[in-house]
Amino acid sequence: MPEQLWLTALLNKYLAGVANAILGSVHVHPAYPQAPITNYVAMQLLVFVILILFFAIVRARLSVDDPGPLQHVAESLNSFIVNQSHEVIGHGYERYVGYLTVLGLFILVGCLIGLVPGFETATASPSVPLGCALVTWFYYHFQGIRLNGFGYIKNFIGPVWWLAPLMFVIEVCSHLARVLSLTIRLFANMFASDMVTLVFFTLFPIGIPIIFMLLHAGVALIQTYIFVLLATVYIGEAVAHEH
Amino acid sequence: MAAEDPDDKQSAAVVWARYSQIAFIIPAAVVVGLLLGKLLDYWLHTHWLFLVGIIVGSIAGFVDMIRMVTRKS
Repeated sequence: MPEQLWLTALLNKYLAGVANAILGSVHVHPAYPQAPITNYVAMQLLVFVILILFFAIVRARLSVDDPGPLQHVAESLNSFIVNQSHEVIGHGYERYVGYLTVLGLFILVGCLIGLVPGFETATASPSVPLGCALVTWFYYHFQGIRLNGFGYIKNFIGPVWWLAPLMFVIEVCSHLARVLSLTIRLFANMFASDMVTLVFFTLFPIGIPIIFMLLHAGVALIQTYIFVLLATVYIGEAVAHEH
Repeated sequence: MAAEDPDDKQSAAVVWARYSQIAFIIPAAVVVGLLLGKLLDYWLHTHWLFLVGIIVGSIAGFVDMIRMVTRKS
């Protein structure tokens, strides 16, 4: 039986049957049927709930005359993503702002939640960055195909017709490598940051770990920024041939 | 109106994020090539396509890297 956080244990106590039924419907049999929900899944659910609450509260208190602090935070985040998308994608960037904002918030909260005692960094498990990278990968290809139709394939074959088969294989490799590089960068950085904080907590339980917790927060911000920026660059490349 | 090329007005941050990919792109492409080669070996019952995968992955990594550093910024 794996070690469980209190939230994971609580979820497994009440939702193990539902989780087993969902996993069984796709022919997946968890190693521990009494605890099918793992810590990182519980953390993702928590991040999901936090973000839903955040958006619900901001939406309910939306005011032009008297914007509250949460509205200021939401507006700052949105304008940051809008400016960046406008700079990287150019014309028609508005369509992608929603996805990029949610992606950034999910990764950021998933990274920072590890600083709260009793919780774990969701992105320190390889499955979570892999999920974000795969969703981004499918999203930018979908947008590329949606805007360029069959012409999107031209991105993969290059300008020289007799080199097209080789270029196609190389481009497929190159695009698949993006999933791996996005995943490894986020996972490795957050895992290492977690480990460093943990080691210093073990060595010096008082005072010193605060420095490493601040470092963890810094790493979380930088990694979120890079992930979202690269997602923007990939979307920009996929939809660039529209113009 | 003439469309703008997004690459024409990239800030330092975008260029920095792009260049941060360089450290990952070659190993990631080699691993992807190896995995694709292994998959083809498994499907076609061969024992040498993983080597082709590694070579194609390396080429893909280098092509992507060269393209990235020569992109106008």
